[in-house]
Amino acid sequence: MMLRTPVPKRARPIEPAPIIESPPTGSDHHRQLAIYEDPPSADPARREPSHEPLQQSEHMLCTYQCRQMVKADFLDALSNAEKQVQDYQSQLAELSDNFRKADEERKTFREKLSYAEQELAAAKGREQALHDQLLKEVNDSHERLKKELESSAKLQTKLENEQNLRKKAESTAASAEDKARELEAKLGHISQSIEKEKKQLNNELVHLKRDSKFSISKITVDLEKMEFRAQSSEKEVELLRKQQEDLQSKFSQVLSLHIDHDIVKFNRCSPDHLILPDCLFIQDYTMLVFGLWSEKSLRSLSSGKKCLIALCLYCPMDFLFQCLHQKSELEKKLTSLSFEDDSPKESDILVKHLQEELRNYESEVREARKLKSAHENIELIKEKLLEEKSRRERAELQLPKLHEYEFKINELEDELSAWKLMIQDIPGVSCRDDIRLRISALQKEVIDNLKKLGDVNAHLKQMEVILDKTQLDKQKTETEAVLAKEKADRLEAEVKRMNVMLSAVSEERNVLKTAIEDFKSKNEQAGGNASSSIMQIQELGSSILEREPYIKELEGDLFAQKEINAHQRDEIKSLHDRLNSEARRVKSLERENDRLRSEIFLLESKIGHGDFSAANTKVLRMVNTLAVGNDAKQTIEALQSELQRTKEKLQALEEYKSQSGNSGKMVDSYMSGKVAQLKEQIATLEKREERYKTVFADRISVFRRACCELFGYKIVMDERQRPNGIPVTRFTLQSIYAMNDDEKLEFEYESGNTNIVENSYTSTSEISQQVDIFVRKMNSIPAFTANLTVESFNRRTLS
Amino acid sequence: MASKTAAKDIITLRGSAAIVSEFFGYAANSILYNRAVYPEESFARVKKYGLPMLLTKDEGVKSFISNLNAQLSEWLEAGKLQRVVLVIMSMNTGEVLERWNFSIETDNEVVEKGVSREKSDKEIMREIQAIMRQIASSITYLPCLDEQCVFDVLAYTDTDVAVPFTWMESSDAKLIANPQMVKLHSFDTKIHKVNTLVSYKNDEEELDDEE
Repeated sequence: MMLRTPVPKRARPIEPAPIIESPPTGSDHHRQLAIYEDPPSADPARREPSHEPLQQSEHMLCTYQCRQMVKADFLDALSNAEKQVQDYQSQLAELSDNFRKADEERKTFREKLSYAEQELAAAKGREQALHDQLLKEVNDSHERLKKELESSAKLQTKLENEQNLRKKAESTAASAEDKARELEAKLGHISQSIEKEKKQLNNELVHLKRDSKFSISKITVDLEKMEFRAQSSEKEVELLRKQQEDLQSKFSQVLSLHIDHDIVKFNRCSPDHLILPDCLFIQDYTMLVFGLWSEKSLRSLSSGKKCLIALCLYCPMDFLFQCLHQKSELEKKLTSLSFEDDSPKESDILVKHLQEELRNYESEVREARKLKSAHENIELIKEKLLEEKSRRERAELQLPKLHEYEFKINELEDELSAWKLMIQDIPGVSCRDDIRLRISALQKEVIDNLKKLGDVNAHLKQMEVILDKTQLDKQKTETEAVLAKEKADRLEAEVKRMNVMLSAVSEERNVLKTAIEDFKSKNEQAGGNASSSIMQIQELGSSILEREPYIKELEGDLFAQKEINAHQRDEIKSLHDRLNSEARRVKSLERENDRLRSEIFLLESKIGHGDFSAANTKVLRMVNTLAVGNDAKQTIEALQSELQRTKEKLQALEEYKSQSGNSGKMVDSYMSGKVAQLKEQIATLEKREERYKTVFADRISVFRRACCELFGYKIVMDERQRPNGIPVTRFTLQSIYAMNDDEKLEFEYESGNTNIVENSYTSTSEISQQVDIFVRKMNSIPAFTANLTVESFNRRTLS
Repeated sequence: MASKTAAKDIITLRGSAAIVSEFFGYAANSILYNRAVYPEESFARVKKYGLPMLLTKDEGVKSFISNLNAQLSEWLEAGKLQRVVLVIMSMNTGEVLERWNFSIETDNEVVEKGVSREKSDKEIMREIQAIMRQIASSITYLPCLDEQCVFDVLAYTDTDVAVPFTWMESSDAKLIANPQMVKLHSFDTKIHKVNTLVSYKNDEEELDDEE
């Protein structure tokens, strides 16, 4: 320690020595001590010789008091310094404790930071994975929604198509009904016409029988006549021969006498110039030329002929030609002349014969006319047969159409069942109209789901933004953690420095203590070394003064560290809050993920249980199922047998035609064959009628059953007659959903008009109201029946 | 048909189609027997796939299944068949009670190019045997069919398939609402892979409805 030696004092005037006031006891360490220097006797090297002896005595008193004062002051200063040291020590302890706490907190914060970082990394990974999953699920749901939309659009188009098909089917069914009615009417007409034809044919048969009998009798009569004529002709021939012989003999005689070349010339003229309608006259003419007439032969001739012959015998050629001309004229008159009964017996017989022949010819003409009429009837029958053939062909042509209609009806039934199943599958749908509403509701749900998807996407984006923010925060916290680490390192260094300072201070304190003890010991011993104690005190004070800025720096550092720690704590709290919020978001995302997974599972189950896309797949089933094959086989076999029968009939008719072409040859065989053929024809027509009846009955029953199943009513048709004799068709309808058998509707159909008939069921209040509304006001029986069907169906299902 | 070589058997498209259609015939018979669609006395025992199999003696059912198999074989050779479904329905109500779904995945390269594949016949038999065993054991979890039932077969084909005379296109796929599904084993001939799945009407819903 530097001891400051005061300047040796000069001789003063009689001024008292300055009194150094002792500083008041206290802790004011900023006071400065005025250290009085010992007199020069203490340090002979420094004292001045001139002033020393006078001042020594005064100094001796002063120094003791000063020493006491200084001692007191020093002690006070020591105590203050000790107190300060203690305070500093306590502060150091506090600082060290604070530093320890801060260090521990730093460690805990570090651990928390690392834990938070790990959690952040895990959360980030999870979020990334969730994000990817969500994106995949969103994309899948997008695709599924698109597919569902496409399928719904296709379903809509299918709906529309099937509605159109249904309308077409209804129209075709109505047309089929009309056609069936027409066919029924035609059947009735055909049956009536067949009956009429039967009657006519029977009548014709009867007439033909009578005619045949009559013709047979006539033929027998003709035969007798012919025989008689033959006999008579034979007799005449004999007579004529005799006459001829007589005449020849006479002629030969006359020729030799009278006949000249002119008569020969006349004889050379061909008899063709003469109009000789009768062969008998030709004979007479030849007899005239080659022989003489007998009286009998002359008598047998007509008067005209006789005149001619006479003329020819007794006149020349010119007169012969005139006679021949007259003869021809007379012969023309023969048909109008009546026979003159010159000879009563033979001419009468001849006349009678001729009359009979005329009658025969007349009868034959009548028969021919009758045959003509029969032939015309046959032609009529042929035309009718052709008509029936054409009808049969039409019926056969319509049979496949019936098959087609049945097929279409089956298809419609299948479609209806499919639609019913679809209606059952779609919840909240009870009828066809609800499908549109349900589809619109589904579309709305789809749109809502799309909106939700959009919201989810927005959430996802928000989450991404939050993730970015958290990453930024994480980076910030990392930087802050780095800074905190650096600060902690600095603090450690400072702590080390503080420790070093503490150790130094403690050493100094120890030194001071030892010094104080020495001083105390010294004071106790003599108190002589005041200057050294003063120097020590001065040194302590200077060291304390030197430490004060350090202490101030330490205090400032502590304050800053405290602020930093508080800031870090706030940041950690905020990070904790963010972590909690993100954890909540992660949980919500996981919940959404679970919900989407369940939806995906539902969709997969729907796809797995049999749904298919109509664009790529179609469903086929065998028609020849076990339940249906037998009926179809039976119907097919029945139709085939009918075809064979009709073919046989056709062959029989063709044979009949071929046979009818040769009818003019043999009358007897022709008539009998004709009768047999007509009988066969009638039999075939009857059989055909029966077959048509059975076939149409089957078809009508199938059609009725189909109508019952399609429209929900069993229809029974009756034909009745009113009291005024007008025929009326009555239809009785019973709904398949009727609760009892009394629930029947009755309608009367007359010439295109349908009227409802009141009965016990329609007279009930509910039904009568509906009848008033639908039938009488709106004039729509289908609407009435449809409404009744729906109501009875609802009643049935509810019950 | 498959011809044996030293190690593996060569499988052609026609052979694979025959194997699959034959499998379906035996599977259908097994289902009809196990589900009591037809009485037990109408079935005869034969040996197939290393197991005692039951075939129906009813001529109508026999001819139905034989015609069906012929058509399925044709479609399989053309690569047009996607699925075959055997449907069991109630005779009275027509309600679908069970659907035995056989979905088929075809190797289009074989169909287009006519190449063949190699797989052991024994391996295929083993796989089919496993399915037959599962069909037989299905009575343990399938609900009892107390009422008289009938069956029908649906074929899911490509849309460009010409519909044969004895078949018709059906818009009704005969689905079951809210079914229970059980997936069975599958077998693979390397040309056709057949997956089997049975879906049935949930019996618990009926019990809940009754309650």
